[in-house]
Amino acid sequence: MRERGSVLALAGPRIVALALGVASVAWAAIGLAASGWAPLALAVAVASVAAGSLRLALLEVPEPQEAYFMGLAERTWYQFLSVIRTLPWEEAGCAAMLWLEVLHPARAWHTAVLGAALAGWLLAVHIAESGTGAVALLRRQARVLVLGLCLLALGAAASLLPAASSGGGAVALQILAVIAVTAAAILVLPG
Amino acid sequence: MTRPAAAGTVTRQVPVRWRLSRHSRRLLTLAIAGLLLAVLNRRPELVGLAAPALLLLSAGGLGRGESRPALVAVRISPGATRLFEGEPGWLDLAADDQAGGYDLRWDFHPGKGVEPASAVTVTAAQGAGAARFEFTVPRWGKRQAGTAELMLHDRWRLAEGRAVVTLPSLDVFPRPGTQEAVVTLSRLPNRLGEHSARVQGEGAEFFGLREYVPGDRQRQINWPASTRRGRLMVSTHPAERSQDVVLLVDATSDVGKPGTSALDFGLRGASATARAYLERRDRVGVITYQWGGAQWLAPSLGRRQVYKIIDTMLRADASWSRGSSFARLPRAALPPGALVVAFSPLLDQRFVESLRDLRERGFSLVVVDVLNESPPGPRLPLLGLPVSPRPAGRLARGALTAMGGADEIARRLWQMEQQAIRFSLRELGVRVVHWDGTESLDLPLAPYSRRPLVVRR
Repeated sequence: MRERGSVLALAGPRIVALALGVASVAWAAIGLAASGWAPLALAVAVASVAAGSLRLALLEVPEPQEAYFMGLAERTWYQFLSVIRTLPWEEAGCAAMLWLEVLHPARAWHTAVLGAALAGWLLAVHIAESGTGAVALLRRQARVLVLGLCLLALGAAASLLPAASSGGGAVALQILAVIAVTAAAILVLPG
Repeated sequence: MTRPAAAGTVTRQVPVRWRLSRHSRRLLTLAIAGLLLAVLNRRPELVGLAAPALLLLSAGGLGRGESRPALVAVRISPGATRLFEGEPGWLDLAADDQAGGYDLRWDFHPGKGVEPASAVTVTAAQGAGAARFEFTVPRWGKRQAGTAELMLHDRWRLAEGRAVVTLPSLDVFPRPGTQEAVVTLSRLPNRLGEHSARVQGEGAEFFGLREYVPGDRQRQINWPASTRRGRLMVSTHPAERSQDVVLLVDATSDVGKPGTSALDFGLRGASATARAYLERRDRVGVITYQWGGAQWLAPSLGRRQVYKIIDTMLRADASWSRGSSFARLPRAALPPGALVVAFSPLLDQRFVESLRDLRERGFSLVVVDVLNESPPGPRLPLLGLPVSPRPAGRLARGALTAMGGADEIARRLWQMEQQAIRFSLRELGVRVVHWDGTESLDLPLAPYSRRPLVVRR
């Protein structure tokens, strides 16, 4: 029973991370026209989520310190492991998914859901690779996360509000307003 | 920076390098990408997307680097810095209270020739920064235990500190062979010891009988002999003396696989011999011959001398650099009348000449031959396959002999040359015995350890 529990504790966060990554890519790609840079951004996002999940799955595989007398197959395997572990897959995935989102016409509520999914994905990846207890970590950061989600909703709502006047100035004002609210939230957070 | 805390324990102040963790780098990427795209595309909802990441980064105290410790005190307690080959060793590492509040992870990177015997990564909870690493060292020598890497993570895991601790060096002694019996010379120096000499003295063993003269102690009277002869007889005893023993270790050539090479056997045999003689309160010294000259330690007594001898031998290095000749021997290391026990594969002609020179100077020599390797057998040309010593059929045997003839002749020549070297030493009065490195040294030395070795000048 204890072994089963430890396997679940090990595999659980990794499966959640994979699920959230796949869901984020799927959500960002919904309703996308296959033209321009969209296929490339989608490919980068899919590859990043796949490689990031593979890195988490192979987290416990040890790498030898010296590779002098290895065969070609072993050498290739360890080089593959090294590439998987070195490159910043999650960063690339975030950038690619935001790029996908920008390629869509404006849809504020859709972006807000993507933001929540991305934040959840990054947290799940962090929990999986660091081995920290998910419940304890989320409890510690609960207030900040709730505040962040509120700001996410506020940002979406701000973009849905009709502008007082037409033109670029009104949109810029909306952006500045959301940034100001976020900055105010950061400033009032206890240190 | 280093101060001793207890025997073998040192505390080091190690600098910590702080940087962003992978998690914070990802959050930063999400935040910057969100803000940038919001401004470029005039979409306020993307700022909201960046908000949770920005809040997490600021709440985690990113940017408040001055509050993090720049140094961490690490206490290193080695189980032992002197080990024998294959003996398990361990190192206890502990980070001090300054690092409290951080999650700690220790990574052990063993040095060359050091094999880990426990997990190399230990994750410690907050405040409990202790870890134990176990290891073994399969072969003798001076080894660096390696390094230990300490990773400190803050509460939110947004910043991580890295400190690298250099672990102490280890003296790994050769695993001594077994030796109980010792070779004793017939002429011993006039110094109190445990060997029965051939002169009368105050020892414990029976030496002979003589007639009582006034002044003899009453307790020396041998009453059975006095009754038989009808006059008072007293027992006499031999003197008990110690001897000087000099070990010669030939490190000029090392043949065989690591762990069972001639030098390995030589060092193990010499360690066993040093221990056996020092237990009998003899004075033991060592001379190590290697390319580049000889290292020596003058004969002395005591348990510490074992470690000094092994320490001198550990510096033996079978390298191939050209060095000085062995014709001139260090006189201070060779007291007159000492028993010389040499451990050598007898492959270096200069060492053999040194043995001859020693014998001609009147030293009693016992050579323990530790050569257990021979050139490989003849091989089939082109294929490089070894020829079986007993090929089936006369035809096959003839063909194989013809093909591998040159190799076989060379091999036989080498063997004859080796036999000639040993024969010439025996002709000079040098006792040469062969030791296979596994059995007790008592077996090859048995012909010379039963009775005192007659000193022939």
